[in-house]
Amino acid sequence: MNFEKSSFGGRLGRMLNVDFRRMFRSPLFWIMMGICFVAPVLILVMTTMMDGSVSVDPQTGVETVMEAFDNVWQAVESVSGSGMAMNMMAMCNINLLFFAAAVLVSLFVSEDFKSGYAKNLFTVRPKKADYVISKLLVGWISGALMLLAYFVGAMFGGVLSGLSFDAGVTMGEIVMCLVSKMLLMGVFVAIDTLASVIGKQKTWMSMVGSLAVGMLLFMMIPSVTPLDSTPMNAVLCLVAGIAAGGGLGAVSCAVLKKTSVV
Amino acid sequence: MNAIEIKGLTKNFGAKQALKGLTMTVPQGAIYGFIGENGSGKSTTEKLICGLMPFDGGSIRLFGRSGDDADVRASIGVLIESPGCFPNLTVWNNMKLQAANLGIKNADAEIRKILKTVRMEGAAGNKYKNCSLGMKQRIGIAMALLGDPALLVLDEPINGLDADGMRIMREVLTELSRKGHTVVISSHILGELEKIATHYGIVRGGKMLCEMTAEELDAGCRTYTALRAAEQNRAKAILSCRYSRVEEDEAGYIRVYDAKTPEEVVVHLYENGITVNELRRAKIGLEEYYIDLMKEKGENH
Repeated sequence: MNFEKSSFGGRLGRMLNVDFRRMFRSPLFWIMMGICFVAPVLILVMTTMMDGSVSVDPQTGVETVMEAFDNVWQAVESVSGSGMAMNMMAMCNINLLFFAAAVLVSLFVSEDFKSGYAKNLFTVRPKKADYVISKLLVGWISGALMLLAYFVGAMFGGVLSGLSFDAGVTMGEIVMCLVSKMLLMGVFVAIDTLASVIGKQKTWMSMVGSLAVGMLLFMMIPSVTPLDSTPMNAVLCLVAGIAAGGGLGAVSCAVLKKTSVV
Repeated sequence: MNAIEIKGLTKNFGAKQALKGLTMTVPQGAIYGFIGENGSGKSTTEKLICGLMPFDGGSIRLFGRSGDDADVRASIGVLIESPGCFPNLTVWNNMKLQAANLGIKNADAEIRKILKTVRMEGAAGNKYKNCSLGMKQRIGIAMALLGDPALLVLDEPINGLDADGMRIMREVLTELSRKGHTVVISSHILGELEKIATHYGIVRGGKMLCEMTAEELDAGCRTYTALRAAEQNRAKAILSCRYSRVEEDEAGYIRVYDAKTPEEVVVHLYENGITVNELRRAKIGLEEYYIDLMKEKGENH
């Protein structure tokens, strides 16, 4: 009996075609993209509107003055050496999207196992690497697009709120910051993918795993991708993304090979 | 060439040994009825054939190649437990995804043809989650048929199908077998299986009890004399004294398994003053053969 030969490229191409089609037609992805765009607009506009307003604690009489962002880019990242302080501004910025990506990847991968699609897939596609590479690339690109949506939302929110775009850094550095974060997303997606193939149908387990490991790495994001990033930061993030994708991807493949996929 | 050759397959789930050196041979072009009690290892074997879980020992060869061969595996259609569809996608889009996975050219035409074969063309636009159980089974069969697979592995595909669905299933599988495709089908509805299977494998406790062709099964199935008498209880008692196996079936017939001829039974009852109202000679079916075999093996254990 003759069987059609299939190359690695052909198999991966088909898998990517299916995964991208699924991701970009998924309501979840577009809801996430919408949130990523709207969140910075709301944050910038509302904090600017409430700038200087005073709230008084009725029991202690202590007054708290609301402070808005000084410039638009604070909603994205802080400048190296200045924003590492653990204040709300430094924490509640674009970096939270690394957690949002964990949710997206966990739901995306666990749906494969919950629906039984993984069963159909792994019957005809025995090479687990095809699956893992496809998920890594789709997750990485989707996460990067979410970062981009947030970035665009921040600029839009800045225009609406009339905030300054001057953070004392060049536009090139800000772009490098965004590119670095997009590349760093690969590290987080590799963790999320591994947690998801371990959790399989158990979405909660995948999410808890992804978020727990993500939290450990969360603190390093501002130092690796500051607002005044250079091409060096981008290269570092790219190398980290590829290394994590390769290393954790290999572990994900091993998990799929050694465990039942049904 | 054999489509499937399994030798000494073992699989453990923790301390429980699900498969204990199972051996199985499925010739190419066969419709292989895979029979066994719940928990006997049928589904586990099918999952291992499809590479859905790792095994602990033994070997699986598909069409003379390793079970991991990507080119062979791309030619397997599967329906195990559920069709494996995304609930929020339409039937059509689910099939499109699987067609894309398989790299099928002219996917639309093939999907249309397969949906027509399983009489589901009208449901193509329905969301999968809104389909009934019977429709889902048909969709599962349609998904498994995509890409014209050389080997089809079906686990309980008849469950939930109505009479028309069962007929369609029989037609589809018989046609596939005629074209040289191989089908492994497990089911508890042995009466249906008997109508299509060309080969059988009976598994128990993780081991293959026996494998046979439909002809061998037919030759091995005992014939019996079935009768209705005027005094049913007395007739049964009289026959039980002479023959070693006399039973009354659900339809109310007395079955005598070890009589040489029906006439012999009639004469014996007549001599004891009992008139026989109905008489026929019949052969036990797959279901009874299977139950007998299970009893026999159970007694031997």
